[in-house]
Amino acid sequence: MWGRNGGFRGRTSLRRGAALGIALSLLTVTPASFAAGAQSRTFVVSFLAQQFTNNPGDCPGGVNPEDERGQIAVALRTMGYSSGEVRRLMVGWDQGGDGERKVNEILERRALINGEPVNPMTHPEAVPDPQLKFVNAKQSVGFDLDGKQSADDFVDLVTGKPGIDNQLFRALGCNQNFRGTWTSPSAYGEWVWVQLRDSQPAWLMTITDVPTGKPGEVIVRIQRSLDHLRSNMDGSPRWHATYRADPDPRSINEYRGYLRDGELTISRQPRFSVLWNGLSAPVLNLSQFQLRLKQDARGQWDGLIGGFQPWRELYFAFSHNGIVGDRPGLWHAMKKAADAEPDPTTGQNLAISAAYRFTAIPAFVTVPASQVRTAMRERPKS
Amino acid sequence: MNKSSRRLISIAASLLVVAVGAFFLWPDSTPRSAKVFQPPEVKAPRLTPEQYRLAITDVFGAHIDLGGRLEPVMREGGLLVVGASSVSVSPAGMEQFDAMAEAISEQVLLREENRRVFLSCTPAKPDAPDDRCASEFLTPVGERLFRRPLTEVELRSFVAAAAAATKALGDFHAGLAMSLSAMLTSPQFLFRIPVIEEDPDRSDGYRLDAYSRASRLSFFLWNTGPDAELLRAARDGELDSDRGFRRQVDRMMASPRLEEGVRAFFYDMLRFDTFETLSKDPALFPKFSRREMVDAQEQTLRTLVHLLLDQQGDYRDVFTTKKTFLTPSLAAIYQVPLAHDGPNGGVEGWEPFEFSAEDPRAGILSHASFTALHSPPGRTSPTDRGKALREVLMCQSVPAPPPDVQFTVVQNAADPIHKTVRQRLIAHSTVPSCAGCHRIMDPMGLALENFDGAGEFRLVENGQPIDTSGDLDGVEFSNSLELAQVVRDNPAIPSCLVKRMTAYAFGQDLTQDQRVFLKQMRVQFRESGFKVPDLMRAIVTSPEFFQAAPARAAVPVDTITASVGR
Amino acid sequence: MSTTRRGFLRGTFAGSAVAVGLPFLDCFLNESGTALAGTGQALPSVFGNWFQYLGLNPGRWVPDQTGSNYRNKVELAMFDPWKDRINLISGGYYHLDGRPVETHRTGVQIATLGGIPSGRESGASLDSDIADVIGKQTRFQTLDVIGTGGRFGVSKRAGAAYKPVEASPAALYRRIFGADFQDPNAAEFVPSTKALAKASVLSQVADQRRAVLKAVGASDRARLDEYFTSLRQLEKQIAMQLEPPEPLPACKPPPSIGVEAEPGGEVTAVERNIDLFTSLLIHAVTCGQTRVFNVTMNTQGCRKAGSTQTWHGYTHEEPIDDELGYQPETTWFIMWANQLFANFLGKLEATPEGAGSVLDRMLVLWQTDHGYARTHTMDNVTTMTVGNAGGLFRTGRHIALAGDPVTRVGLTVQQGFGVRTSAWGSQSNRATRPITDMLS
Repeated sequence: MWGRNGGFRGRTSLRRGAALGIALSLLTVTPASFAAGAQSRTFVVSFLAQQFTNNPGDCPGGVNPEDERGQIAVALRTMGYSSGEVRRLMVGWDQGGDGERKVNEILERRALINGEPVNPMTHPEAVPDPQLKFVNAKQSVGFDLDGKQSADDFVDLVTGKPGIDNQLFRALGCNQNFRGTWTSPSAYGEWVWVQLRDSQPAWLMTITDVPTGKPGEVIVRIQRSLDHLRSNMDGSPRWHATYRADPDPRSINEYRGYLRDGELTISRQPRFSVLWNGLSAPVLNLSQFQLRLKQDARGQWDGLIGGFQPWRELYFAFSHNGIVGDRPGLWHAMKKAADAEPDPTTGQNLAISAAYRFTAIPAFVTVPASQVRTAMRERPKS
Repeated sequence: MNKSSRRLISIAASLLVVAVGAFFLWPDSTPRSAKVFQPPEVKAPRLTPEQYRLAITDVFGAHIDLGGRLEPVMREGGLLVVGASSVSVSPAGMEQFDAMAEAISEQVLLREENRRVFLSCTPAKPDAPDDRCASEFLTPVGERLFRRPLTEVELRSFVAAAAAATKALGDFHAGLAMSLSAMLTSPQFLFRIPVIEEDPDRSDGYRLDAYSRASRLSFFLWNTGPDAELLRAARDGELDSDRGFRRQVDRMMASPRLEEGVRAFFYDMLRFDTFETLSKDPALFPKFSRREMVDAQEQTLRTLVHLLLDQQGDYRDVFTTKKTFLTPSLAAIYQVPLAHDGPNGGVEGWEPFEFSAEDPRAGILSHASFTALHSPPGRTSPTDRGKALREVLMCQSVPAPPPDVQFTVVQNAADPIHKTVRQRLIAHSTVPSCAGCHRIMDPMGLALENFDGAGEFRLVENGQPIDTSGDLDGVEFSNSLELAQVVRDNPAIPSCLVKRMTAYAFGQDLTQDQRVFLKQMRVQFRESGFKVPDLMRAIVTSPEFFQAAPARAAVPVDTITASVGR
Repeated sequence: MSTTRRGFLRGTFAGSAVAVGLPFLDCFLNESGTALAGTGQALPSVFGNWFQYLGLNPGRWVPDQTGSNYRNKVELAMFDPWKDRINLISGGYYHLDGRPVETHRTGVQIATLGGIPSGRESGASLDSDIADVIGKQTRFQTLDVIGTGGRFGVSKRAGAAYKPVEASPAALYRRIFGADFQDPNAAEFVPSTKALAKASVLSQVADQRRAVLKAVGASDRARLDEYFTSLRQLEKQIAMQLEPPEPLPACKPPPSIGVEAEPGGEVTAVERNIDLFTSLLIHAVTCGQTRVFNVTMNTQGCRKAGSTQTWHGYTHEEPIDDELGYQPETTWFIMWANQLFANFLGKLEATPEGAGSVLDRMLVLWQTDHGYARTHTMDNVTTMTVGNAGGLFRTGRHIALAGDPVTRVGLTVQQGFGVRTSAWGSQSNRATRPITDMLS
């Protein structure tokens, strides 16, 4: 796939100073080369976060309480206290001092294993399910991951097609800090992106034509970079920066896709895996991976990637972050909503359907030739 | 307008330009007297901001913080150093010079670690005047700052000033610092006051005295006052002998400080000081912030130094060279790959880079320091760029626009927005009262239209492909690469460099009386293969360089005081 | 003021008397010898200059009536609140005498210098002439700012160079209210020993510095003279630090200023910086730091964020709207800039001082470079004065000059402030008669 057509011959060769001593071959992109075809175009991911498409009224029972007081009240109810008792306890909590201490003592026993209290955040199973509310909406963006239509599925917001799987939206979409729209995808996701984009490895996307293949056939490779995303002074992502590809095979993903009329699609690939960060998920693992991106006149890609994501990995990221809401509640919500990869023993679904907003802008990528071969050889089987 | 009449207008326009700006280019029959070099009347320019800064760092070290804002100089004859002969010190400027002098003096004398370096003696009492110790400090420092030894009167006054201030403040070092501060605001420091003496080589001729010669040589080659070694050579009479003088010239031209002088010259000639007030709309040009403005200047200066000094190259090649130096931020603007080698968040360094043969960029006209500098904040202006090429690089002046210009004639109410700037400028090329001047500016600027207001490449404007064809003085080109070649081959290019460099060296615009000298320098430049260091050497070693006009009578020089320890 | 001040400065240090001779100090009494405020006299008059490029739209500002009962048209309607303090002068002419028009420059020269200089050198601008009369008692002879970014304004002294201007309000704040500021209302005055030391240093080196004048050629002497003029200003500032300043009740030095915008032509930046400059200039005047200030609004580069076109570009490239009868974007800028001046006046009027406001003792002169920027006309240029400078002028009139040189206004203003001149300007721009309607 790679080496057959002579590897990557960039339009421009770079002469490096003696200090490096490594000969690098380059992938480059210019508007002209895009039209010419039979070349590689390289991009850097300029945004990645959960994509939710909420509407007012899609949580008929109200949005899950995101402030500490609301969460405590729900927790107490779940532990078995009546509404009247909860009210009295919360009045005490409001007053502080002894009243607050009393509530805290109760909450210390919120999670019990063999009668002994444990940390509810790290042992969410031991916390009674606070029954966080799910989204009640007909439409969503996303992908039909399982090829089936079921009662849980959404209708695609854009195309109107049925069968869209996005249980993560259903589970989290009534938590204020996850609610979003197409222009503002997910408050939590955006927050994480802005916090970490300048200090985490950037992700790269390479699209290479397959001249001998079907019309529009391309190879798409998504991998990490050794470099962080470059931004302009105003915080916007910087176009045409140069990134070094990370040879670590754990994060290299390569697929056959189709590019037609400015739309790139990758349909149902078994696996996608890129090392990520501690606030989003340690690894972004997506099975039944799909991708759909549109390119605008300037060259920027915008769209979605999706697949079944191991929801417990998501929980590990949320769990040390108080702004997501009632964390053990999120565990139970995702657990109930999960819709794929049943555990052979328990039957519990271990993965949940999800869609992520994905944008990418033109960038240069440097790939040491030797690393390409190595990466290909060592890529773990899916 | 058909092609032949366009050509006619173009040729007519070139002749107009030649007539207007080619005073020094074309020989004509001159009266005999003008064929002889008449020395110019030497002026006393004020230090430019950069010269002030270098004077302080040379004498006191680079770690001294100036602590103020330097009064800008106006440009004249295309150069700030020439404009420096027309400016003085305004009241606001005096406040700033005074504030800076205070800040500098305090750092030099009131901080222990600095004082040890500059003051080798200790006062008899810490709170009382000590004329001997003050004199020991003020004499060598004064010589460096005034660029000649202090006269007895001057030294006595500064020592007395230190004593008076010490009495008022009760501290010797604070008092001495005030005297140093007064030195730094003195006209002898702020202005380069020339001293004229009789020229032994010419009857009834005058020349600059040894220290003034040292000054002029040093400001030209290094953009700063004479260093200790050059002052010594002046004092010991070595600059009066040909051999002694050339030894100093060789020393200074072999020094790495020559690069500073060459940079300073091009910074001035290419008008990089105007970057200070340049602004680009960040919404339209997100890549081009203050940091890229600094990088853009540095890119061009490095390119010039590398080609002209390190490689002893042909000056004309600066317009066609594909070789340059880039940082990753600039590489993103030029849309070329340049990986950052070090750790994330680390300093991004400069890398040599060579644009490929097909890349539309070649030479300094394609650098962001030219394309972005000569553009309004929101867009491009071929007129600005063409005018800059004429005035900055070809020394040709373009007449001012007529007052009654208006565009209603060409405003098409049905389609008021023209898609490309070439279309918007159609009036420039078709209306006779506009065409005359715009024909000599717009075509070159239009060839550079592929580079937008921040120097980034584009093929289309508002969805319309950009047409980059045109001509320069009748020689046609179809794109920016061809423009680069046409510019390179234009005789006004090397001619202009000689004019600018000579004016820069003399510190003033040259007139009719010095024309013959310019002509000689032009011939020299061509014969040397257009090598800039050779031109610099030719200028400073010419017999004319230090000649001064006889109209100013020789000024009696006060007794130079003996330096301490000699 | 006593003769001791003129002859010697006496101070004490460590208990012993110190006397320092100050032969170089100019007398800082004014011509008529009146004392400063605080001794029962009126607060000193103040002259302000507001130069705004690119003019107005013909047909939208000249009132139909002349005299006192005129009605403003749309482009000057924002000045109605101050109408009785304003003199609006229409029909002024910038005469060229056969010289070519240097667009956006010749008009500036005629308005500020009285004529078109023949070479690089010229005389001083009219604000400098006024400052020479009224600006000698203050710490700063003039304060020069620019609201639109840049390094040079329209004010100059005699010679070739224009005076550098302050583009950054923060820098101006530091300059005025930084370490060397002396609060005139401070309870206790402590003469600065540093100033005493500095004054003694300057007196020691004065003679040897002066000798430099003999060493330079005639062409340089004028520039060196300017250096010494500036030096004298500095020496005066130092001397003022040795005398207790007269108290000024309206002086409230600001502890800080707000955050400035990056100086430049973008409209929100101009608005912000002009706002800050207005406050600073008001404080400077009420604290007796200056009596003359210049505000340059080089509006040619003004631009809305995200727009590719500047005000100047619009004046030439924007078509006249058929229905409206004027260029819409250009006119937006005109109204915007005029509103900035109105805000400026509003803040002056809102600053209490004495029995009224600080505007009471001011005259602000508003000038521009062309009558109609689109075609660079030199006729029917707009000129305005606001305020009567404490009674030195009469106001509230629309005065139609009918083709007279506009320098009559400059002459009138100068004469009102006490500049001893019977004429101002050169050739056809020479004004020999002031506008008597404007003078008290």
